[in-house]
Amino acid sequence: MSEPLAFAMGEFEARFPVDRQYATNHMWAQSRDDIVRFGFSAYAVRLLQDVYFLDWIVDAPVKLSEKQQIGAIESKKAESDLFAPLDGTLTQFNQNLLSDPSSINVDGYGDGWLFEMRGTAEGLLRPEQYIDHLDAVWEVTQRTIKGQLNE
Amino acid sequence: MAKRLTVVLSQGQSQNPAKRGLEEDLVARLLMEPGIDATVVPHLYDLQPDGTAMLCLQGISGDMVVLSWLYERAARWILDRNDVRGQVGTSLILNEDDDEDEDNDEESAAGESAAGESAAGESDDDKQRVVDFREPPSRKIYCIDLRADNQAATYVDEIKRIAAETNTDVVQLGEWIQGTPAPEQMQRYLEGGTAAGVGANGSGGGNLTAGGNVTGAGNVTGAGNVTGAGNVTGAGNVTGAGNVTGGAGGDGPREVNRVDEEPGRRWYPVIDFSRCTNCMECIDFCLFGVYGVDQVDTILVEQPDNCRKGCPACSRVCPENAIIFPQHKTPAIAGSPEFVGSLKIDLSKLFGAPESDESAVDAAVRERDEQLVMVGRDAVGESVGIAMRQQQAEDRPKDELDGLLDELDELDL
Repeated sequence: MSEPLAFAMGEFEARFPVDRQYATNHMWAQSRDDIVRFGFSAYAVRLLQDVYFLDWIVDAPVKLSEKQQIGAIESKKAESDLFAPLDGTLTQFNQNLLSDPSSINVDGYGDGWLFEMRGTAEGLLRPEQYIDHLDAVWEVTQRTIKGQLNE
Repeated sequence: MAKRLTVVLSQGQSQNPAKRGLEEDLVARLLMEPGIDATVVPHLYDLQPDGTAMLCLQGISGDMVVLSWLYERAARWILDRNDVRGQVGTSLILNEDDDEDEDNDEESAAGESAAGESAAGESDDDKQRVVDFREPPSRKIYCIDLRADNQAATYVDEIKRIAAETNTDVVQLGEWIQGTPAPEQMQRYLEGGTAAGVGANGSGGGNLTAGGNVTGAGNVTGAGNVTGAGNVTGAGNVTGAGNVTGGAGGDGPREVNRVDEEPGRRWYPVIDFSRCTNCMECIDFCLFGVYGVDQVDTILVEQPDNCRKGCPACSRVCPENAIIFPQHKTPAIAGSPEFVGSLKIDLSKLFGAPESDESAVDAAVRERDEQLVMVGRDAVGESVGIAMRQQQAEDRPKDELDGLLDELDELDL
C-alpha cells in the first residue's frame, strides 16, 4: 500500500491515507459498493483535538442534501456544527461514538468513523486533490482560529 | 430532626473531563454536608417520563435544588412538564440571563396589581400568562446552571445558603407517606428497608418511609448497615466519602442516590408557561402532532417524541419566545434570552456551514419543510399556520381588492 500523504499544520504533520477520498469539509470517504463511510480527516481532528461530545440532529435513515446540517461536535479546543458532505441517504451513524467519542482521536481512520451514506461519491476529492485544497484553505483556517482567539 | 434539602445533580451528556470532574467533586462534597440528600440522575432532558429517574424526582416532596447543564428555565420547565412543580427558588448563582429573567417575572407579577404601570413600558406586561392560572405547590425548587461556575465550592456554598433559607419540615415528609407511592418506590422500600436506606436514599421518596419506621435512624452508625444499601448503583464512582458514617453530627450514614437509567438522546419542545399566553401559534404551525391541549384548553406538549430531531421551528414562530429546545445551539432557543459567548473556537465555517442571514420565520418555514420532505410529505412553505402573514408581506402597490377594503374601512357605520 502507498504511503499516506502529509500536510504540515505548523509543527504538526497531518497524514492522509491514500486508500480513500476526501470531502472539502475535512471528512474522509471510503466507498464500498454504493455505501460511503465518512470520518474526520487528520486535519479536522488536529483542529478539534480531544472530542468530548458528538450529537446528531437527524435520525438515520434520512435523505440529505449536501451542506445540510446533521449534527454538532464539541472538543477540547473547539465546537462546530457538522454538515452532510454530499447529496444522498444517510444510512447509519456510528452509535459507539455517542457514549464515547474518543475513538475519533484514537483511531480516526478506523473505529472513529462517523456515519455512512448511500450516494454518488463523484464530487469527492482524491487524496492529492485534498492536499491542494488544504494548501488553499490553510491561510483562512489559521486566520479563523487566530481571529477568534483575539476576540 | 434536622431539616433536609434534596440536591439533584443531572449529569451532562458530554465526556468533557472538566464537566465530569465538577460533577464528581460536587457529589463528594455534598456527601459531607449535614442535612443534604444528594441524588444523581442522567441528563434531565433525556429522562423518560415514566423512567426510574423521573419517578424518583416525582417522589421528592420537599425543597429541592436541581443542578444541571441546562439553562435554569429549561430545567424548571422540563420538571414542570413531568409534574415536578414548586415555587421558584432564587439562587444567587446566576447567569446574567437569569437576572433579567427575574426582573421580568417581578414586573409581570407587579403588573397585575398595578395594571398598566409597567416601568419598562412594554405592552407585553399586561398579557395573561398560563402560569397565572396555576398555583404551584408551596415547596421551592432552585434550578442552577452548572455552566455558571467551574468550582464545586461555589455550588456547595450556595446549597448551604439555600439549606439555611428553606424550611423543609420532616412533618411534610410524613404527609407524603400517607400518599400513594409509585410502584417503583414501593418496591425500593420493600427491598431496601434497612436502616442504611434512610440516609442513603432519603431523597428517593420511597425510602423515606423506612425513615419513618426506624426512629432515631440518624444515629445509626454501624458500618454493616451502610454496606447493605443495595439501592446505590454505581457507587464505585463515589470516592471514599460515600461511606462516611455519622460524621455529620447525627445525620446518619449517607450515600449518594444514583439513579441509573440509560436514556437515549431525546429532542422535544419545552414550554415556559411563565411566558406562554396560550395563543396556539405553535399548534397551528407544527405539522407533526407534537402539541395538544389539556382539559381546560391549555396548550401542552402532548406527543414530545413526535418532534422531529433538530427542528426548532415552532420555537422561532412563538411570539413570546416561550418554547425552549434545551439542546439547540442558539442560546435564545435553548432557554437563555441572551447570547452567551463561547470560549471555544467555532469551526462551523471551516466545516462547511453555509452563509446565512434569514429571518426567524423564514428559518422556521425552511426547517419545517425540510422535516416534511424527510418523512415523504409535501413541503407547505408559508401556506400553513403562519399568523400575521400580512405584516410580513412586502410592500407593493395596492390592487383593486385593497382599494375596496380601504373604502369599506372609511365607511362610517
